[in-house]
Amino acid sequence: MRHKNVMALAVAVSLLTAACSSGSSDGGSTGHATDVVTIANVAGQTWSCQFNPFNPANNAQSLGTVYEPLVFVNTLKNAAETPMLASSYTWGADKKSVVFTIRDNVKWSDGKPMTAADVAFTFNLMKKHPALDLYALWTGNILDSVTAQGTTKVAMNFKVAAQPYFYDFADQVGIVPEHIWSTGDPASRPNTWADPNPIGTGPYVVNPCKAQNIQYTKNPSYWQAGLPKIGKVEYPAYTDNSPANLDLATGKAQWGSQFIPGIDKLYVAKDPANHHYWFPPVTNVALFPNLDPSHKATSNVAVRQALAYAIDKQQVSKIGESGYQPPASQTGVVTPTFQTYQDDAAAAQFNYPSATTKPDTAKATKLLAGAGFSPSHPLELTVITITGYTDWDASLGEIKQELAPLGVKLTVSDLAAQAFDDKLYKGDFDLAYYSELGGPTPYYELRQILHSKNSAPLGTVASSNYERYNNPAVDALFDQYAAADKATQVSIIKQIGGYMLKDVPIIPTTEQVDWYEYNTKNLTGWPTKDNPFAQPSAFNVPDIEQVLLHLRSK
Amino acid sequence: MRFLLKRMGFFVLTLWVALTLNFFLPRLMPGSPAEALMARFRGKVPLSSIKPLLAEFGVDDSQSLVSQYFDYLANMLTGNWGISTTSLGEPVSKMIREALPWTLGLVGVATILAFVLGTLIGVVAGWRRGGKLDSILPPVFVITSALPYFWIALLFILVFSVWTGGWLPSDNGYDNTLDPGWNGEYIGNVLQHAILPGATILVTSIGGWILTMRNNMITTLAEDYVRMGRAKGLPNRTIMIGYAARNAFLPNLSGFAMSLGYVISGAILVEYVFNYPGLGYLLYNATINVDYPLMQALFLLITVAVLVAVLVSDFATFWLDPRARTQG
Repeated sequence: MRHKNVMALAVAVSLLTAACSSGSSDGGSTGHATDVVTIANVAGQTWSCQFNPFNPANNAQSLGTVYEPLVFVNTLKNAAETPMLASSYTWGADKKSVVFTIRDNVKWSDGKPMTAADVAFTFNLMKKHPALDLYALWTGNILDSVTAQGTTKVAMNFKVAAQPYFYDFADQVGIVPEHIWSTGDPASRPNTWADPNPIGTGPYVVNPCKAQNIQYTKNPSYWQAGLPKIGKVEYPAYTDNSPANLDLATGKAQWGSQFIPGIDKLYVAKDPANHHYWFPPVTNVALFPNLDPSHKATSNVAVRQALAYAIDKQQVSKIGESGYQPPASQTGVVTPTFQTYQDDAAAAQFNYPSATTKPDTAKATKLLAGAGFSPSHPLELTVITITGYTDWDASLGEIKQELAPLGVKLTVSDLAAQAFDDKLYKGDFDLAYYSELGGPTPYYELRQILHSKNSAPLGTVASSNYERYNNPAVDALFDQYAAADKATQVSIIKQIGGYMLKDVPIIPTTEQVDWYEYNTKNLTGWPTKDNPFAQPSAFNVPDIEQVLLHLRSK
Repeated sequence: MRFLLKRMGFFVLTLWVALTLNFFLPRLMPGSPAEALMARFRGKVPLSSIKPLLAEFGVDDSQSLVSQYFDYLANMLTGNWGISTTSLGEPVSKMIREALPWTLGLVGVATILAFVLGTLIGVVAGWRRGGKLDSILPPVFVITSALPYFWIALLFILVFSVWTGGWLPSDNGYDNTLDPGWNGEYIGNVLQHAILPGATILVTSIGGWILTMRNNMITTLAEDYVRMGRAKGLPNRTIMIGYAARNAFLPNLSGFAMSLGYVISGAILVEYVFNYPGLGYLLYNATINVDYPLMQALFLLITVAVLVAVLVSDFATFWLDPRARTQG
C-alpha cells in the first residue's frame, strides 16, 4: 500500500516537471536570439533597481549604458580620448580652465534636447550637495566654477592646474537632465533618490529591472545614428562565480568579467573556436611594508631591498596566478599598458626580479646580513591578506617558500575582509598584500600609493598610502605633474619610478588584470589585445558603453 | 493558563536578550561601515566623501551608543528597519520582503518534505527493523547527510543539468526572460528551478529525521501498551500508526519546530551554488559590508522565527501530550 502511494507521488512529480519544462527556453541550449548580449559579471548581490549615477553602490549599472560622460578616456591606449557629449574642448594656457563644446544633436531618452545647461547643472548639483561629489572636485578645492555659455559651450574654471583631474570630471561624471533633477524628489534629496527609471543620453534605457536581472533595450533617441547595433542587453545578478562561470561555459552568457580557474579547460575547451579571453594588466598587486619607524625591520630600506631582490616574480605569477597576471616591475609602472612611462635603463641598473630577470639571492643575503638577519638569526614577519582570495594565498605561499632559505620567516595571516581593511587602513601590520585602483596613466596609482597627503598616522584611517611613505621630494614631483606638458609628465613618472627603485616603499609582485572573457559565436566587435579600444570588463564604467557601441551580430 | 502566561513571559524575556545581543555583537566586530565602503570602492571615492555619504543614508555614529541602542529597539519593533548600506539606498524592509518568499518557499518546503518523508521512512524502518527497507534507506541517507551540501549540489548540477544539456536549470530562481506574476508559466518555471536546490536540501537533511524517528519507534515498540495492543489482536497497521508512531513522534516535534525557525536564516550554500535570490546571501553580504541595518533586521527575523517556532512547539506538545498537561 505504501509502495503504491510513493509510486503515485513519483509519477505526479515527473509529469509536473515534464509539463513545466516544455514551456521555457532555459538552461544550456546555445540557440538563443542573436540580437542580445548577456553579461556575466559577479556583482555579489541582487539588483536594487536603483540607477542614481551619483551613488557609487549603483552607478556601475547606469554610467555608460544610460548616462554618458563628456569625453571617454581609454586607459589601455595611453589615455586616448573619444569625444562623447562634448565634441571638442580647449584648455586655457595655464591648464586652469577648459571650455567644452557640447554637441547640439543630442536628445534625452524622453525626447527633450540636451544642452550645455544640463552639463553645467550636473556639476553645480554636485557643488550644492557634497555627498554627490564623489571625486572631491568641489570639496577638494579643484573646481572653482562651471558655467554654460549659450547652449553649446561649458566653461570650467579651476583653482589649480587641472589636467590630472580630466579623467574624473570628463570621463567619470555622467551628465543628468536638468528638467528631471531640478524638481521633486531628485531636487530635494539627489543623493538618496533611487532614480528607478533613469533618463539619460546613452545608447540604452532600462526596460525593465527586476531583482534577478536588468534588461537594457535600445534608446530610440540615441544621438549616434544606427547605433547601438545590439538591441538588448541582459545583465543578470550573480551572487557567486560558479553559476556565472557555468553560464559562460555553456554560452548562455557571452561577456565574462571574472576570474575563471583553469580557464583553458573549463571555458575555452567548451568551444575553442569562439571562447576567448584577454587579461590586460592595469595596476599592481604588491607587498605593502610598514614604513613607520616603530616597525624596525620593515622601516629599514636594506630589508625592503633584500625582500625585493629575493622574490621570484616569474614563479609567483606562474604558481600563484596561473600565469594570468604578468610579473610586475619594481618601478610600479604597469607594462605593456604604460610602456612609454617605463624607464627600462634605470630598472636595468637596479636589476630587481621581473618578467625577464631572476632573483639575486646573493645580494638579498648580503643586504639582510647588513641588517643583522641570517638563517641563524631569522627575520620574522607576518603578512596579512584577505580570506578567500585563493590566488593571493597561493602567491604568498610561493613567496614564503622563496624567502625561507634566506632567513626570512614569513607567516601568512588570512583575515576576514572587514578585519583586513581595518588593519590595512590603520597601519596595523608588518606586511600587507593588496592592490589599488589605477587610472589612465601610472600617475593615478603611484600618487595613491606614494603621496603623503593620502597617508595618516598609525591608528587612524589612511585613504590609500597605507605603508605611510613620506618623501617631500616625491610629493613635489606629483604636485608638478598637474601643470606639466605631456613630455615632462612622462619624465616625472620616470623620476618617481626611480624613487620606487631606490626606496622600495612597496614591492609590486604581479600586475592586476581586468578579467575578460568573450564569445564570438554570434557577436563581433569585442575589444581584443590587437584592438584595445576600451577597458574590456563589464564593471569598467563608462568603458562598457564603448564596448556595447562596437558590438554587432555576425 | 498559568503555563501560557509563564511561557509568554519567557518568550518576551528571551526576545529582549536576543535583541540586545544583536545590537552589540555586530558593533564589536572589527571594521566599520565607512571602512567597508572604502574597501568596496577601492580608493576611487576618497574618505572625505564617504562619511557624508553614509550620514545621508542614516548611518550616524556621532550619537552615544546607549541612545543608539534605544533608537534601535524602537525601530526594530515598529518595523522601521532603515536603509541598507550595502546597496546605499534600498530600504532594508524591501530587500527582505523580496528575498523572504524565495527562502521560505525553497528551504521551508524542502525542510517540511524532509521531515514528512523522513518520519514516514523512520516509522516503517523502526516497525520492520532488520527488514529490507531498514537495511538500505537509513544508512544511505545518513551517509548523504554527512556529505558536504555544496558537493551534492554541484554533483546534481553536473548530472541533471550539464550532462542532460539543460533538462533541469542550474541557477536562478526563475528564467530571466519571464515576468513575475501569478500565471501558470511563471509558477511552473519557479517550481522547475526549485527542483535541484530542493532535492539537494532534502537529500542532505532527511537522514537525521529518519534516524531519530526510527530510534524513537524502537524505544516505543518496547512499551507495554504496544504488547497489549498486539495481544488484543489489533491489526499491525493500527498499532504502528495509531499507538507507536503517535508517541514516538513527540520528541521529533520540538526538533522540527527549531529547524523550521532556522529556515529563515536561509541556506547560504544553496543560494551561492544555485544563485538563488534568498536571505542567506543577504546575511552574508550584510556581514561582509558591515551593514548594520540589514544585519540587525535579519538577526531580528531569525531570532523571532526561532523563538516563535519553539513557543508553538511547546504549545503543540502541551496540547498533544496529556502527560505535559498534568505537570501544569
